[in-house]
Amino acid sequence: MWRDGLLVAEKDLRIEARSRVALSQVVPFGVVALILFAFALGPDRTQMARGAPGLFWVAVLFCAVLAVQRSVSVESADGARDGLRLSGLDPAGMFLGKTAAVGVELLVLEAVLAVGVVLLYGVHIVTPWLIVVSCLLGAVGLAATGTLYGALSAGLRVRETLLPFLLLPIAVPVLLAGTRIWQAALASGVASDGTPWLRLLVVFDAVYLALGVVVFGPLVESA
Amino acid sequence: MRYVDAGYSFVLGILFLYGAHLLWRRKRLTRDVERVAAASAREEGE
Amino acid sequence: MSAPGSIVVPAVSERARRLERAIGIAALLGIVATVCLGLWVTPADQVQGDLVRLVYLHPGVAWVALYLAFGLAAVSSLLYLWPRTRSLFWDRLAAAAVEVGVVFNACTLISGSIWGRPTWGVWWAWDARLTSTAVLLVLFLGYLALRRVPAEPEVRAKRSAFVALFAAVDVPIVHFSVLWWRTLHQGATVLNPDLSPTIHGSMAWTLLLGFVSLTLVFVWMLLVRYRIGVLEDALAGRELDAALRERRAEGDPDGADTPADDQRTLAPLDQREGERVAVEAGSAVLREGAR
Repeated sequence: MWRDGLLVAEKDLRIEARSRVALSQVVPFGVVALILFAFALGPDRTQMARGAPGLFWVAVLFCAVLAVQRSVSVESADGARDGLRLSGLDPAGMFLGKTAAVGVELLVLEAVLAVGVVLLYGVHIVTPWLIVVSCLLGAVGLAATGTLYGALSAGLRVRETLLPFLLLPIAVPVLLAGTRIWQAALASGVASDGTPWLRLLVVFDAVYLALGVVVFGPLVESA
Repeated sequence: MRYVDAGYSFVLGILFLYGAHLLWRRKRLTRDVERVAAASAREEGE
Repeated sequence: MSAPGSIVVPAVSERARRLERAIGIAALLGIVATVCLGLWVTPADQVQGDLVRLVYLHPGVAWVALYLAFGLAAVSSLLYLWPRTRSLFWDRLAAAAVEVGVVFNACTLISGSIWGRPTWGVWWAWDARLTSTAVLLVLFLGYLALRRVPAEPEVRAKRSAFVALFAAVDVPIVHFSVLWWRTLHQGATVLNPDLSPTIHGSMAWTLLLGFVSLTLVFVWMLLVRYRIGVLEDALAGRELDAALRERRAEGDPDGADTPADDQRTLAPLDQREGERVAVEAGSAVLREGAR
């Protein structure tokens, strides 16, 4: 399972490296979102700094939807999905591989956006390890749920509009937890406030990873 | 008290409307099904 | 399928019809009784005044929506997914439960909001329960949206069941995170939704009557909605057959296309070429790895 997972992850990341869609389209979209939020919240710096954690995670969530769409559409070209199924790869490994690939893309995105938030919104990070861990756990959670829902809606013409509607409500705990952890990591927050939320993220990730490993096989073997 | 009236009206209103809608939908569907069944029975008979 | 163009619909037994009618009438009577008792017979509460009368409805619809309807939908979906109990019956039951549940969920939010306005001064408050309920509503609207996508019954059933499963798993996590969101945050004004009335006597009975009546309403709606699902599937099946027959009559050898595939994207040709090369490179990686 792990070997197949690595194979699939490598394939997806190699495709991304070749076509650079995530880098050239998804990340800029995130940055644009941050800029739009700045316009929406007005020039008051304290207000922006206070809203920054939430806005960061909202931008990440929207970009995650795009990244998942991309991850799914890679396989819809020319029956590649059938080829994948017939190749005898372990479906659990496929799930882990695709999740890992999307997760890596999200981590890159989060790094860029985090720098953007620090620069544009003037936040002061006091406890950086909280930020890093929350970004890691958040990326994993979003990637896992995204891969599941991506597979669910693969092959549907309405996927573009349906996937966000399906995925974003599921991602609400990541948004809540991520925002709270960021707030705890800032100068105005208390670091220990973030720990229960870290635990929540771990639970969320564990649940959806386990679910995906178990369920991905039957999920993709549809008509 | 206005709020209570509003609350009751909304909730019960929605439930009644939905119930009526369900009944209407079922009636329309049974009619369609009967029509189709009758049509195909005629086809077979010919 | 029997003769072409025919339609297979299981008939409803006379006993089932009578049972459904009985439940419907009982539900109606229960609701009327609840309204009479709730609005006129029972006294106003010492603390909340007349607002307490909404308590006869609101927890009832909430219980039906959150636990009865969506619990049933989750269990039915699991039973459909489990190979040994797989049957489209469970799928249709889940679909019916979700649709009725969404209606009750909306009623929960509306009655809660109306109760909240004079109590908290606002139409909406981001308290734990309202928020979680709103998220639940959106989750199951997603379920209904997915079901509208045309597909074979088994494919649709499996997709919907997975969505229900994922949503059901998410609900407790969302509930806890929203609860913590409200209570762990420093300085948040914890709105207390539990201005629990001192329930006694006639109020307690009316509350119970409300619960029971609303449950009966749910059961009745479930039965009718289930039947609707059966009829709709039968008609849709026949339409699909008719479409296939027309295709074959026109000489299309591969009349088994379903329209649900989006393999041809609308991207410009050179971009698709680029992607094709990229995908081939990726497949090469896989082929090498699989050797």
